[in-house]
Amino acid sequence: MTSHRILTLYTWAFLAFMFAPLLLMIVASFNDASPPSVTDWQGLTFKWYEFFWMDTSTIREDPVLRALDRGRFGGCFGNSLYVAAWVVPLSLVLGLAGAVLLTRWRSRFNGVLWWVLLSPMLAPGVVLGISALVFWNRLGVDAGLFTIIAAQVTFIAAYPMLILMARLQRQPVELEEAALDLGATPFRVFRRLTLPYLFPALASAAVIAFMASMENYNTTMFAKGGSCTFATEIGAMARNPNGHPPVINAVGTVIILITVAAATLHTVLARREMR
Amino acid sequence: MRGKDVTLDSVSITYPDGFTAVQPTDLHVEAGEFFSILGPSGCGKTTILRAVSGFIAPSTGRVLIGGDDMVGKGPNQRPTALIFQNLALFPLMPVWENVAFGLEARGLSKRARRARAQELLDLVALGDQGDKRPGELSGGQRQRVAIARALAVEPAVLLLDEPLSALDLKLRQHMRAELRAIQRQTGVTFIYITHDQGEALTMSDRVAVMNQGVIEQVGTADEVYSAPTTAFAASFVGEANRFDGTVQGVSDGLAEIATARGVFRGRNPAGLAAGDGAMLFVRPEAMALGAGENTLSARLMRRDLEGAFVNLFFDFGGQELAVHVTNTGEATWPDGDADVSFGTANAVILPSGPLARTGRELAAQ
Repeated sequence: MTSHRILTLYTWAFLAFMFAPLLLMIVASFNDASPPSVTDWQGLTFKWYEFFWMDTSTIREDPVLRALDRGRFGGCFGNSLYVAAWVVPLSLVLGLAGAVLLTRWRSRFNGVLWWVLLSPMLAPGVVLGISALVFWNRLGVDAGLFTIIAAQVTFIAAYPMLILMARLQRQPVELEEAALDLGATPFRVFRRLTLPYLFPALASAAVIAFMASMENYNTTMFAKGGSCTFATEIGAMARNPNGHPPVINAVGTVIILITVAAATLHTVLARREMR
Repeated sequence: MRGKDVTLDSVSITYPDGFTAVQPTDLHVEAGEFFSILGPSGCGKTTILRAVSGFIAPSTGRVLIGGDDMVGKGPNQRPTALIFQNLALFPLMPVWENVAFGLEARGLSKRARRARAQELLDLVALGDQGDKRPGELSGGQRQRVAIARALAVEPAVLLLDEPLSALDLKLRQHMRAELRAIQRQTGVTFIYITHDQGEALTMSDRVAVMNQGVIEQVGTADEVYSAPTTAFAASFVGEANRFDGTVQGVSDGLAEIATARGVFRGRNPAGLAAGDGAMLFVRPEAMALGAGENTLSARLMRRDLEGAFVNLFFDFGGQELAVHVTNTGEATWPDGDADVSFGTANAVILPSGPLARTGRELAAQ
């Protein structure tokens, strides 16, 4: 066997491990069987998708679907959007501040500062969740959506920071110096030069922060208190001892579609950023 | 627009890592003057420019512009404009907004900015290019946009950091003339940084020759070329034949230098005394074939036809001598050992000191 063949085999094995489970999940989302299966084919159905908009009476007739709480599921999804709506702008602002600080403020503390600002991203999510919970609890704030937002921002802000730093490092310092030299205040330099220059990077950082916030489970789990998000609710449904309802497969398939779309968008933005 | 004078009052600049880029320097640039600072890369000339524009604070001494102490004033508060080596045009703004950027910072209305930008673009012959992006222009056009942008803020002093170095030779020569014309037209004080002696000599009212953080000589182009005051200035500006030796005697502003291959006489501007280590410099075009005041015997090795000049290279006991003679078209060239001479008034004897590195030494690096 030539090395070329081994490489080919390895590549196919790699792709199979990556995508076979996803393919199985998608196929099972169209099978009229619960718990989800691809071997026990009970016929093509779309009801695991239609669950989200079908009549209440139809749900009540279905032995699997009637056990699910559609209202709660929608509420948790709404919570996720609400959390992301705060987390994305907050982490963009904090990440931008960190990126400007680390690339434009030359000091011997930069090395230490870099690790301090990056450490939440590297710290275990449970630690962030629990510490946010304990910290805000001491201040008299009950666990809920606010603590989820606080806990998520601590580490999600590092993503925009890294993306914006990479972009800022490519901008020649002379441009900002030239603007200063022409009489602009530092604020005007930032608004007229740095911000327009950063715009594509800001857009892609926003997409990544949004996805990180939506899909976060472990940090959110510890900080959520009695509330729920999309990710924690799916987690709760998946822990069903009788096997999870195929509705989760349907949701997963939609998420894959959205992810592919977002990744495509990100690639397009990144390509524009290269110019 | 009116230029202002610039004074460096014992300015020295030491970087945080301890490197002293500029030794204590006194310098006065007249209002409306085209002043060049000429030196090899790393000599500290850009550091001086950045201290005048306000990006670096002097470690000691003061910078005065139009008599006002600039201490504590940032680059956005000084009556200077800097043209960067890489031009630093704003890539995302159209050309006219680039030019008008300084006016925007001054709070002019959009209409006034556009009108003023148009005037300046007309001045640099780019009147119809205002709506393009800088990236769509040629190198020479971008160069002119940078000039227009700097002039838009009506600076009293324009600082130029080797702005022509990225252009090809033809364009560079054209831009020299254009820069000189713009300087005359506006009356702004120009401080021009370059390592190219051709640029410095052709454009400037006065030239400062700088080496290793020290301004070694300040004078008109003629003075710097014909009457260098240091060994470095003599070897960096233009070509020169050099003879190392010891001063033997002095009289009437002249000196006699004893070298390994004979005794020669030359001017003694530095007031050397007998016994001092010295170097005699003489330009190739000041040398002649045949005997004269200082005569030496050398063997012709090579002859390069330059056009108006013929460059002759002699072997003088292992040392190469360059002799440039006018091409009359009917000369005969010496065969074997021949007399070569130079006039005492054309030779200058200076204290031994660090020399500019030759092209061959730079290439070997």
